[in-house]
Amino acid sequence: MAKAIRQINKSVPTEEELQLQAISDIMKAIGENRDAIVTSLDILKNLQDLGVLQAVQGLLEQRVDVATIALKQINQPAMHNTIKNAFNAIKFLGTVKPEQLQLILQGLGQGLERTSENNQQQEHQSLWKMSKSLRDPDVKASLSTALEFLQGMGEVFNNEGKTLH
Amino acid sequence: MQESTFSIQMNGKEYRVEPGQTILDVAQTQDYFVPSVCYHPNLGSIQTCDTCFVNVNGQLVRACTTKAEPGMKVDTLSKPIQDAQYEAMSRILKNHELYCTVCDNNNGNCVVHNTVEHMELEHQAYDFTPKPYPPDTSHPFYRYEPDQCILCGRCVEACQDLQVNETLRIDWTREVPRVIWDDDVPIDQSSCVSCGHCVTVCPCNALMEKSMLGEAGYLTNIPPKVLEPMIDLTKEVEPGYREIFAISEVEASMRKSRIKKTKTVCTYCGVGCSFEVWTKDRHILKIEPQAEAPVNGISTCVKGKWGWDFINSEERITKPLIRKGEEFIEATWDEALDLIASKFKDMKEKNGPDSLAYIASSKCSNEENFVFQKFSRAVMGSNNVDNCSRYCQSPATTGLMRTVGYGGDSGTMKDIEKSELIIIVGANPAESHPVLATRIKRSHKLYGQKLIVAEIRKHELAERADLYLHPKPSTDLVWLSAVTKYILDQGWEDKEFLQNRVNDVEAYKQSLEKFTLEYAEEITGLTKDELIRTAEMIHEAKSACVLWAMGITQHIGGSDNSTAISNLLLVTGNYGRPGTGAYPLRGHNNVQGACDYGTMPAWFPGYEPVQDQQVRERYEKAWGVSLSVEPGMNNHQMVEGIHDGKIKAMYLFGEDMGIVDSNSNHVHAAFDKLEFFVVQEVFFSKTAQFADVILPAAPSLEKDGTFTNTERRIQRFHKVFEPLGDCKPDWQIFQELANRLGANWNYQHPSEIMDEAASLATIFAGVSYDRLEGWDSQVWPVQKDGTDTPLLYEEKFAFPDGKARLYSVDWTPPYEAGEEFDLHLNNGRILEHFHEGNLTYRSEGLTHKVPHPWLDISEELAKERGLEDGALVRLTSPYGEVKVRVMVTDRVIGNELYLTMNSSEDHEAVNRLTSSYHDTITHTPNYKEMGVKMEVLEPTGEPPLPKVNHRFGNRVPQISVKVEEKWKRSDFTPIQDLFEVKEDYYGESDSAN
Repeated sequence: MAKAIRQINKSVPTEEELQLQAISDIMKAIGENRDAIVTSLDILKNLQDLGVLQAVQGLLEQRVDVATIALKQINQPAMHNTIKNAFNAIKFLGTVKPEQLQLILQGLGQGLERTSENNQQQEHQSLWKMSKSLRDPDVKASLSTALEFLQGMGEVFNNEGKTLH
Repeated sequence: MQESTFSIQMNGKEYRVEPGQTILDVAQTQDYFVPSVCYHPNLGSIQTCDTCFVNVNGQLVRACTTKAEPGMKVDTLSKPIQDAQYEAMSRILKNHELYCTVCDNNNGNCVVHNTVEHMELEHQAYDFTPKPYPPDTSHPFYRYEPDQCILCGRCVEACQDLQVNETLRIDWTREVPRVIWDDDVPIDQSSCVSCGHCVTVCPCNALMEKSMLGEAGYLTNIPPKVLEPMIDLTKEVEPGYREIFAISEVEASMRKSRIKKTKTVCTYCGVGCSFEVWTKDRHILKIEPQAEAPVNGISTCVKGKWGWDFINSEERITKPLIRKGEEFIEATWDEALDLIASKFKDMKEKNGPDSLAYIASSKCSNEENFVFQKFSRAVMGSNNVDNCSRYCQSPATTGLMRTVGYGGDSGTMKDIEKSELIIIVGANPAESHPVLATRIKRSHKLYGQKLIVAEIRKHELAERADLYLHPKPSTDLVWLSAVTKYILDQGWEDKEFLQNRVNDVEAYKQSLEKFTLEYAEEITGLTKDELIRTAEMIHEAKSACVLWAMGITQHIGGSDNSTAISNLLLVTGNYGRPGTGAYPLRGHNNVQGACDYGTMPAWFPGYEPVQDQQVRERYEKAWGVSLSVEPGMNNHQMVEGIHDGKIKAMYLFGEDMGIVDSNSNHVHAAFDKLEFFVVQEVFFSKTAQFADVILPAAPSLEKDGTFTNTERRIQRFHKVFEPLGDCKPDWQIFQELANRLGANWNYQHPSEIMDEAASLATIFAGVSYDRLEGWDSQVWPVQKDGTDTPLLYEEKFAFPDGKARLYSVDWTPPYEAGEEFDLHLNNGRILEHFHEGNLTYRSEGLTHKVPHPWLDISEELAKERGLEDGALVRLTSPYGEVKVRVMVTDRVIGNELYLTMNSSEDHEAVNRLTSSYHDTITHTPNYKEMGVKMEVLEPTGEPPLPKVNHRFGNRVPQISVKVEEKWKRSDFTPIQDLFEVKEDYYGESDSAN
């Protein structure tokens, strides 16, 4: 003979029981990951000593405000240029053949060295000496490379505006 | 008829093509990428996105609408084509901001994102321009963001022509077009039925599930204050989309590690929609239907798309409960199962095996029903096992087994879709089988399908019908028989079919003698003209299907009503061909499967009689026990058995019998008398309140198994979550209990149970989990080699001689409550809640749409009794009373009432009013035959149905999205006018493809 009843006696765990359960779960996890946790604590200690943790804490607590300020700073024409230029520079580097760049950079280095030596001597070459040095095979090689370079650059300038989109 | 394939040239190569294929179809099968943003396989061509232009014989044409023809030369790759496609895509991106990495729709399936990426677009020609409209967040489940809307019209097409609710349009007349609901009202106040089609087909993030927002991505929960400048910055510095997309790709693939996608099968009706559930831990991100789903494709209804909040409800039972005095105390599984085992054992020894009864669940899986009947029969030694089909569909099963042999739908949704004439009798598919109804509405709207609805309440399909019949309640057998007789009298019957495939024709003809038009007119109240028109429409149609449900079965003559329907179909030859047949619409997800897998007192799985010695021996051999010879008690007899003292204990799972059985006062009194009652449930139901032990079960999302839908289609569902708390899948509980009673079962997975069922029941011989992988399904009977049978009776009917039988039936007048009960009470489900609402009321959004049950009363009756919306009335029948608030409507007329069943409160539940009278054959209660009297308690009050319900909306029917209006706009330039293409020009091919 069972009448309909609605009463359920649920053993709802108390706050303390929940906490005890949580602590026991945590202790178990700690026990299982002893080495990782000890290492992490070492790292944390160093970060604490350096003041890094406090800084990160401040950043995280104020993350929306910080992000807003940061974005405001970044959202400036100069910063846009910087980022765009960075993208372009990276893209450019991707297109250059490493051997070529290496050669040119080596040449650049040596050229700079000579320039600074020349500057120290404070001596300016006469026109005659300059035209004579055009016969120097090193100067010739460098000049003809520069001319090729100028031609390539000109091609891009002249093509600009002709693209469809 | 089959035309042979032919060849066309595409990008300089020859390809074989099937007749009817479009250029887009051909390109896709050949792995040529042609952008097609607005095209969707379930929706067809919409022609708004303009991205699919290709060169065919020197003309710029849409690939999605152009049919391939022999010798065609197609170019999809050359520069002018790419330019045209680029122009179209740029127009789209003017309407859509690409902030993919911080977008909740960045899950690898965003059509706009994927198209931009595939086209290798670097920049867009036109800047993004926001629209002057705020987002609409009024609806509880989804939001519309006009700024992101590309105006492709997929949502409109889905709403107008697939779901056919006719709520969405694009208003092309305003300066900045947008999608509008009804006459441009907030979504929540529109006629939107919340089916979710529009959200599912949206190719971007304009229409999104609210459950996704801020949840799906790693970076999508950023406050707007930070997000907006971030988007600005990204746009300002972006070098090109390729780099941006690289980041969003990384983010999208990171999401894969935390978003789980699991296929499941819906449990909210018998249609059997399947879809993916997207989850993050226990949070349901969304329901994502797929075009591959065999029944529904991308279709869902409000419950299937949104109604799953119950899974995490605080109210779920998560521990076994044992009654001690006036309360239930939590217990361990061991305590609960040991107690049940010892009680069952004692009671069986003391009072015999048939003193216990077992009620199975049509909501649980095939495997669970199989194991439960095995528990009852093999472990406990009794055939006293039944399921809730007893409350709804047993009469339909009887009607079909009498006439054609199998108790199931004779075809599938495909047949319903392609039939020339659909006749719906005593059913409300638009609310009770919503996705099935969409297919009828679509065929009716677009493809000229005819529709006859016979129903006492003018529901949505009745309004759409070509012919609406309103017979007097409980007289369907009479008009069905009269129409059949008229067809025979006119010589319109299918003579050849009757001659070759049907027995007992002459005897049946004679039994129709009394069903003259005059007699039918008198009994049913239908006019002769209506009856003749019905007969003519059936005669004129080359194929016809009859669909029916509780309006036919829940009567004293329920089995005979169903038989009359099948007779009519036989006489007109409407069986065994595509587009024909009988379709009793199953109400629960697994009503079909519960019966199929043997939780019935007289049948083993696969409808083999327990009295058949050969069959019994097969099971006895497999199970190593001897089995009871006598059929057991059905649900109805069990309740009477308790009152008579024959049944002392009951084990029930997944069934709220205390609410859903008729005459619930009588049922509750029976529960009171049980000596021991075990209820296995997900929630603390009305029935559970009477239990001695309550066992916490896991719902479908927390287990594996299969369901069988109304089409007889077996579909696999997969575990989405681990069971909550201490809950367990029902089959595991049965096994643990059985083993305590000495059974020694060892099922590790439901697939092993299915293997056992397939090895024993002939009609499931070839059913196996291997053949149900992914979206694969099987429609029984399934032969050993896996061949299934979507359409029954093509060769023979399921009788030994292969011939159908016309089965003579007579009309049984309905139960009369008496003169003082002057109003007729009809009742049933509504769209937004499943049955009594035990699961669906746990959803805040569904409760927002429908918070209460209500009583539909006619305008005439309201006037006569001085009532308006919100009035409180008391209904009294000879069996009980309820108090409910009314809605005045033209859906019902005169003295006919309709009480919705979405309540489990005692004072509102319709079964407080219904009787214990029942169908004479199957004992299905006559829920639909009751008279009541009505007293007015408060003439006015708060209307029970809030203004945010779709029933108050104004539909705006149109065909598709009316793209012609877009083309007429002064700011629209056709793509074809901008680009020139030449014949035989294939340009430089794009090696990326």
